[in-house]
Amino acid sequence: MLGRVQHRDIVLRAVAAACKLVRQPSASSPSSDGDAEWNDFRMQVVTAVSEAFNNIVLHSYAGREDGIIEMDIRTRRNHISVELRDFGDSFDPDEIPKPDLDRLPESGLGMFIIKELMEVSYRPGRPNVLVLSKKFHDKDTKRYQGAPGRALSSSASRKTGDA
Amino acid sequence: MNVTIAAKEPGVSRIAIEGELDTVTVGDLRKQIDQMVAKEPKRVEVDLSALRMLDSSGVGALVSLYKRVRGYGGEVVMIGLRDQPLAIFRLLRLDRVMVGTDLAASSTGAQKQSSSNH
Repeated sequence: MLGRVQHRDIVLRAVAAACKLVRQPSASSPSSDGDAEWNDFRMQVVTAVSEAFNNIVLHSYAGREDGIIEMDIRTRRNHISVELRDFGDSFDPDEIPKPDLDRLPESGLGMFIIKELMEVSYRPGRPNVLVLSKKFHDKDTKRYQGAPGRALSSSASRKTGDA
Repeated sequence: MNVTIAAKEPGVSRIAIEGELDTVTVGDLRKQIDQMVAKEPKRVEVDLSALRMLDSSGVGALVSLYKRVRGYGGEVVMIGLRDQPLAIFRLLRLDRVMVGTDLAASSTGAQKQSSSNH
């Protein structure tokens, strides 16, 4: 699809739908169990992909409206990976400085959010290939574990160990 | 995104942001914030109870609002955060400094602006 921010909703709807394929409740788990974990998982994945799409449009293509973004979504039980390919300017995710949150930064937060929520791999080239992946752990398997892909929970009682 | 700005009482402005605050919509919000901040209200209440989605661009606009109002000695409180926007606030540790807990959800005032985008 064209790399325009207006097209991001299409991407996010597809990602949200794919997240449904990740969760396969066991026979011992009533369908309502794990809903909070799964909602958080879906929210994290959608948020990270949204930021990644923005980055490609705003930085790799730097405002061009004719750039192409290709996306593959791969799912298996308790795992999703989203591959985004673009033909714009490359970058090195590891060279993007981590924001100093105590200083209330107004920019430079996108890649930080992505890395906090999902595992990230990036290969520059033609195309640039960004892969975001994440495991899902419901309470029948394991609690969420630490970063990468650390908890982003809006639940009142957080079930994770990180603060 | 819908933005509603109301002057609750002298020196107090309330801004309600609904829908999605992101790269697509943030420009419109910034324009309205500029107009509100130019009047230097002593207190700004930001109602985010109907905000569904917040990205880093939207965070930048809210942090900018916070800094500008604080810069002239005003006060900013963010209320009603939930779901994904609340999670983003927590992830970026904004909940420790920017979120109020004392406000009722009322919106009245003589001055009202509204915009629709997206």
